[in-house]
Amino acid sequence: MSAGTAAAGAAQIAGGIVLAPLLPGLVQHWKARLQGRRGPSPLQPYRELRRLWGKSAVTLAGTTVVYRLAPAVAAAAVAVAVLLVPAAELAPEWGVGHDALALLGLLALGRFALAAASWDAANGFSLMGASRDLTISVFVEAALVLALAVAALVAGTTDLVGVVAATAGKDVWTSPALALGAVAFALVIVAETGRQPVDNPDTHLELTMIHEGPLLEYAGRDLAYLQWAAAARHWLVLVLAAQVFLPHPEGVWWQLATLPLVLVVLCAALAVTETLVAKMRILLAPRLLSAGAAVALLGIVAWLVEA
Amino acid sequence: MIGAAIVAALAVVAAGGALAIPRRTFAAGLWTQAAGALVLAVAGFAALWAGTSAGAEFTSELEPRFGVDGLTAFFLGTLGVVAAPSLAFSTGYLRPDARGRTVAALTAVFVVVLASVLCARDPLTFLAAWEMMTLLPAALILVAHGAGRSARKTVFTYVAITHLGGVGTWIAILLLAEAGAVGDPSAISTGSALQVAIALAALVGMGTKAGVMPLHVWLPRAHPIAPAPVSALMSGVMIKVAIYGLVRVLVEWVGVLPSWIGVLVLAIGALSAVGGVVYALFQHDLKRLLALHSIENVGIIVLGLGACLLLRERGASTWAAFALAAALLHTLNHAVFKALLFLGAGAFERAVGPLELDRLGGLLRRMPWTGGAFLVGAMAIAGLPPLNGFASEWLTLQALLHVPAYGGIPTGVAGAVALAALASTAALALFCFVKVVGLVLLGRPRRHAAETAEEAAVPMRAAVVALAVACVVLGTAPGLLFSPLVGLAPWAADTPVHVGLPLPGTGSLPTGGIALVLVALAGALVLLRGRRAAAPAPSWACGQLLEPELEWSSAGFTKPLRLVLEAVLRPQREVTVRTAGGVVQEVTYAGHVPHLIDEHLYAPTTRAALAGAAWARRLQSGRLGGYVLYLIGLVVVLLGAARLGVIG
Repeated sequence: MSAGTAAAGAAQIAGGIVLAPLLPGLVQHWKARLQGRRGPSPLQPYRELRRLWGKSAVTLAGTTVVYRLAPAVAAAAVAVAVLLVPAAELAPEWGVGHDALALLGLLALGRFALAAASWDAANGFSLMGASRDLTISVFVEAALVLALAVAALVAGTTDLVGVVAATAGKDVWTSPALALGAVAFALVIVAETGRQPVDNPDTHLELTMIHEGPLLEYAGRDLAYLQWAAAARHWLVLVLAAQVFLPHPEGVWWQLATLPLVLVVLCAALAVTETLVAKMRILLAPRLLSAGAAVALLGIVAWLVEA
Repeated sequence: MIGAAIVAALAVVAAGGALAIPRRTFAAGLWTQAAGALVLAVAGFAALWAGTSAGAEFTSELEPRFGVDGLTAFFLGTLGVVAAPSLAFSTGYLRPDARGRTVAALTAVFVVVLASVLCARDPLTFLAAWEMMTLLPAALILVAHGAGRSARKTVFTYVAITHLGGVGTWIAILLLAEAGAVGDPSAISTGSALQVAIALAALVGMGTKAGVMPLHVWLPRAHPIAPAPVSALMSGVMIKVAIYGLVRVLVEWVGVLPSWIGVLVLAIGALSAVGGVVYALFQHDLKRLLALHSIENVGIIVLGLGACLLLRERGASTWAAFALAAALLHTLNHAVFKALLFLGAGAFERAVGPLELDRLGGLLRRMPWTGGAFLVGAMAIAGLPPLNGFASEWLTLQALLHVPAYGGIPTGVAGAVALAALASTAALALFCFVKVVGLVLLGRPRRHAAETAEEAAVPMRAAVVALAVACVVLGTAPGLLFSPLVGLAPWAADTPVHVGLPLPGTGSLPTGGIALVLVALAGALVLLRGRRAAAPAPSWACGQLLEPELEWSSAGFTKPLRLVLEAVLRPQREVTVRTAGGVVQEVTYAGHVPHLIDEHLYAPTTRAALAGAAWARRLQSGRLGGYVLYLIGLVVVLLGAARLGVIG
């Protein structure tokens, strides 16, 4: 293993597992500043994780093994996805491959675990969130697969390591395909990270929650796993955005050097969007995401015309 | 050797069928059948791996011949894999009364007939076995249900539609035989009208049998009312035999098809996949829901076939072979998990009675073995790693992605749209099976029978658990089957054998590795969590008291999607409020999602046909003078035609 691969692997693990909670922390911090509040420190998610780690979990009467295993399965699925998404154009082989389309299955597994747990807890508000999450996911999956398809077509492979290498360099956006893919992926980021205008991470009004809903019946370490998984999803999509859809330098060292910078900028962008855009009516979100899928389809057409 | 093993296996199945008729040897007969089916499975997959063939080659002559090649061996293996557990399940499920014994005997005939369609090597045997395959389930349903009015009507719809559509199969096969092209692709020139006619006729005829939209209407009616093991055979194998026919005709016998047929196949596949799963989502009966999911999965298989046709037309032979293998692998995978789900549904039906989704609940605790296996099947059909549905859906997604990669703007756009459709289908299937798992297995029991349900008998339990194990094995080591399946493409593409799926041009799918890492991480997280927990508490539910009236229903859970798709689906709802003396006494709500294809395609067609028939009946007045007038008219017309030189 070369030094570059080792460094990229270390960045992948350190970033995806340890630093991921910083990303939502940063967004919350800046969002508060933009709204004229002082807001919590960017380290707030870590404090919450520490607090939850020390608390005992709940045992719900009348639940089955599905409720008990769901947080571990959801977090494990996201962790495998973290291993799957490379941080730069080199990545160690963790034994799970680096295929872009395998990502869809892993994200789906997490969603299944949580939604099934909501049924097990029989909590109407959890189910409301799960049902909305699954509804939106139908359209997210279409947009996501088409955005990934644009990148895969441009790169000539669905191997994410190869995709990062093939899309590096400054003249990526000279062809419209990847730029259109980036627009579609931006909408996927908003949906996957549960941010406005699709979802509101700050809401504590049960009737409006999407991603927060299925978490309602959990406490302690179970809840810590789920909150970490939500943060790690930020890492997954933002890294993909930075290293595939946005212009990024060639060479693994440059890529690793610019990655933190781009992630910080992307978090700032999320904070600005959250401040400027109000939450959408839930039934309108699918339209927005379908528009994203259509844009990505246009990207594929652009690529076909060029090829 | 292989041929002898298969003949022996089928003889054992037939003997088992005969044994099942006397009451004393009923169970022994079913076990004998199951043993025969098991031998069939082993022989089929052994022949596939070894690449051996036996018996006669294909011929266009009309003389009965039988033989086995790789494709036949694979489908025979699939038949065995579904039939063996289904028959073992039957020992606990069927009662040894007259009805049960007849069903058991007919099941053996059904298995033998399915095998003869697969082994037929001449047009005559193929068509004869094909018709038998259509008629036997009708007999099975009528026997199992008694000839009640609704069962008769369903069977009529089934027989009518499969026969009307089935004409396409006859046309395709007879045209092929006429051209001498059965088993010989060089007999038909590419792009000829004959080639297009055969392909379209096969799509209609075999598509009807496979249950693709819009020719599917019989399927969600006929599959749910059959006994569970027969439903498993119908959904798991019978509709796959139609896929076998499609592969033979479209991929092997007619040569390279023009790209618009490939696009048409993709469109049919996408419509079936999305349409099947959307209507399944709004179903409230478990067996009907499972039947609609068969349409979805046939759609996914057809998407793979369409990708194969398009890639082949573009000259991408490696990926065309991969696409074919993806379709075939999904065929087997669907057979396994759909049989599992149907058998599971049968076990639940025995334990609690009718399978209305909103009136079950909590069965995982009452029936841990059956329920656990059912959970595995639900996750497999939802395409979740590390189970088998995920592997073959990933392969199909890759195949569709490679359609645009090999260029051509119209085909490329079709491939991309199909890709998006398949991704959405996977998400919808997940939605649907979360609902099923939640309503059937989890939460609280919603009626008394579910509270007191008993775990199924040992053979029934063993059958579903065996199928669940097959889901896991096929999910972690799909590569072992994938390589021989790639070799089945007539343009001979070899690929080395792996456990996972390290395909060129992809990031590779090391299924075993993913399964291992996933299980290890989840296990580690469970250990880290520890056992510390507060005393058991009821669901918090934001402070609400959980009462039975507040339980979520199937319709409630899918409501957001119903609202989003309102413009397309046109759901109907009816709310009636009864008031007495200004006080609301009762509010009733009824809503359902009508099937648009039934209402806007079949209903007008049926009405027009009936109106036409009524009009034509007026010709038959019953008066002698009228008939004499017809005869005179006919003679005048014929004389006139002869005079003009049109005839004679």
